[in-house]
This record gives sequence, C-alpha cells and structure tokens, in this order.
Amino acid sequence: MVDNASVPSQSPLLDEALQGQLKQILAKIKEPVDIRAVVDMEDKNSQEMAAFLRAFCSLSGYLRLELYGVEEASQVPELDTTWLPVTGLYQGGAYQRVAFHGIPGGKEINSFVAAVANLGGAGKGVNFLLKKKIDKLQKEANLKICVSLSCHHCPGVVAACQKLALLNPKIEAQMIDARLYPDLVERYQIERVPFLIVNGQDTYMGNKTIEDIVELLNN
Amino acid sequence: MNLINREVEDFCVQAYQNGKFMEVDKESLLGHWSVFFFYPADFTFVCPTELGDLMDFYEEFKKIGCEVYSISEDTHFVHKAWADASDTIAKVRYPMLGDPAGVLARQFGVLVEEEGQALRGTFVINPEGKVKVYEVHDMGIGRNAQELLRKVQAAQFVEAHGDQVCPAKWKPGEETLTPSLDLVGLL
Repeated sequence: MVDNASVPSQSPLLDEALQGQLKQILAKIKEPVDIRAVVDMEDKNSQEMAAFLRAFCSLSGYLRLELYGVEEASQVPELDTTWLPVTGLYQGGAYQRVAFHGIPGGKEINSFVAAVANLGGAGKGVNFLLKKKIDKLQKEANLKICVSLSCHHCPGVVAACQKLALLNPKIEAQMIDARLYPDLVERYQIERVPFLIVNGQDTYMGNKTIEDIVELLNN
Repeated sequence: MNLINREVEDFCVQAYQNGKFMEVDKESLLGHWSVFFFYPADFTFVCPTELGDLMDFYEEFKKIGCEVYSISEDTHFVHKAWADASDTIAKVRYPMLGDPAGVLARQFGVLVEEEGQALRGTFVINPEGKVKVYEVHDMGIGRNAQELLRKVQAAQFVEAHGDQVCPAKWKPGEETLTPSLDLVGLL
C-alpha cells in the first residue's frame, strides 16, 4: 500500500471554508466508510486525487483511507483500473459497488459527498414503494456515468445511480470524469453529459431521476 | 400569441412536386418531422434564393427524417409555371404547397391580409403534428437553411433526451474545477 503519510495532507480543492461545511455534513455519519483507491503516483491526476482523499478523510473519524499503487491493484480486484485514479467505497471489508474515476471537483463533489454520507447512514434513504422496485431488479447492471465537472445536471444522475448500487447488490455505479479519458469519449462519441452507459452498450443522455433509471433497467 | 406545442389543425391543400400535382393534408405530416417554409410569392427575387438554399440541404433534412414543405399564397399551377420558368426552382424536389385561400398562412399567423402574401415564417413540426420551433421574418429578410437544419436537429435531440443535458467540450490539460457544494436532493 502507498503510505498515506507520503501524500500531502492538504488539497487545494478543499479550502478551509469547504472543510468546515463538509465536517458538518460528515458529522452525521453513523457507520464507518472505507475508501480504497488505486493511484498511479507518477501521474498528476492520481497525485491530486490522493491528496484530495487524504484531506477529505481527515474530516471525519469514520472515514478510513487505503491507497494502492498500480502494481498493487490486484489487492483490490473489484475496482476497474481501466481509468485511473479509481476510488471505491467499502464497508465492513466489502466493496459497495460505488466507484469514482478521476477527481470529484466542481459539481461532482456533491455526488462524492452524497455517496459517502449515504453509505455512512447519514442519508434519507428512499421511500418504501421505490425500495421495493429497486429490490426487484434482478439483472446485473453496470452503470457508467460520464460527467463533466461543470455540469449541474450530472451529480443528480450520479447520485441516483449510486443510491441504486448501495441498495441493490447486482448494480454497480461508476462516476467517470470524461475529461481525463479521451479513449472513452472517442469510443462512445460523447459530446454531451450526463452520458449514461449501461452494461457497456446502451447509452442515455440527460438528467434522470432514480425512478427513471429503475424503469430503464426494467426494460 | 405563442404557437409552441400548438397542434396543426386539419387542412388539405394542393401541391406541386417533381412535375406532379398532389394533395397534402394533416395526416401527411404525422409520423415524421416537418418544416413549413412560408414565403411571400412565386416569381420574386429573394424567394428563389431561399428555396434554392433549402434545396441544397434537402438531402440532409431527409436523412434526419424531416420533410420540407414550401408554402406560398399561389396555386400549385403557379408553382409549376415557376418551376418551368426558373432554373433554381426547376431543381426543387420538396413539395411546394399552394395556399391561395390563405388556410395555412392564417392558421400559422403569417398572412398579411391586405397583400394576400405570407411573411417569411418557418415552422418545425414534430411527428405528432405539434409546433416545436418557429421564426417569422418580415418580407425582405432571408433565412438560412443550414441554421434551420441545426434547429430541427436540436428539437429532435430534446425530444429524444430531454433538455437537462450539458454540452461537453473538454480541452487537454484543463485544471480540476474547484468544488462547489450543493447537496440539495442528493442525500
């Protein structure tokens, strides 16, 4: 594992005012959340993410950070290392099927904080009827949500997909900052975001509610 | 008065297309996108330029499932006479609707009653027969078919994907944006 102490303890993305706001939100967490990331410490984006994660995790005693170098990625085989840096959320040693590729700056800080808070038991959950519909989803679904950090519609879809993943073990949600991965943009000809890719094949654009996504997965 | 999302009323007019006469009615519009392209009159100067420009992009409109209809307050016979007399109009392949009674121009609010001519109004109609885009120019102000094509594509995009989408133009080496916190509705 990468020694956390070798990573800067502060990140320019988290200034004092934001740290204060985040502390208040994270204070509502009731259960530990483990964050594991695969980072290529030779790469600027991974260095930036490592510092962000270290600074973020220092804001709550419930957050634990483990950083893995590229050569150690086999220790976290559940994480998709196609696009680095990748950060996964864990609880009780198990991957919770929520991952982030890139750095959740801009508007995407919101889906990151929401996922951590929801997993830590600080979220509101979903209503009973919707929960039943989510439980009924039987097919395996990998949801990749390609975003732009300046897109105000994106965090909503990302958070909706992540809630689904946290509630249904057959669903995985990967937030991807497409800016960092031209291969992905090229492959799917992404010109607009949010851009949702279901099981690597079906693609959808635009903001979607959790109900919309449930319906889409049922079809 | 706003025409957006207004459904086209029933109509039936005579048209000229490719050397033939035909009828066009509301039913003909359903199931595909349509452009209604009003212009003041046959045998004028700006009109053939605009209609020629529209013809240059006609294949592009067809490719995206959109039919183009030009409309003036002339009869379909006058459209044919114009096609026989003008090289530019002879090349036109889309239906040219005759609206001598002003039925269509009045319905779309572009008829100048005292002149019996239509303003340069363009209307994009969806496959359910509802107006999704329109613009009306005064007589002498011409339009741009390429821009019209873009508008039809934009209307089709919104119909397919909704309007909550951001264009993404990434530049290599861009800095990560400073976080802006707003968790409303996400927890």
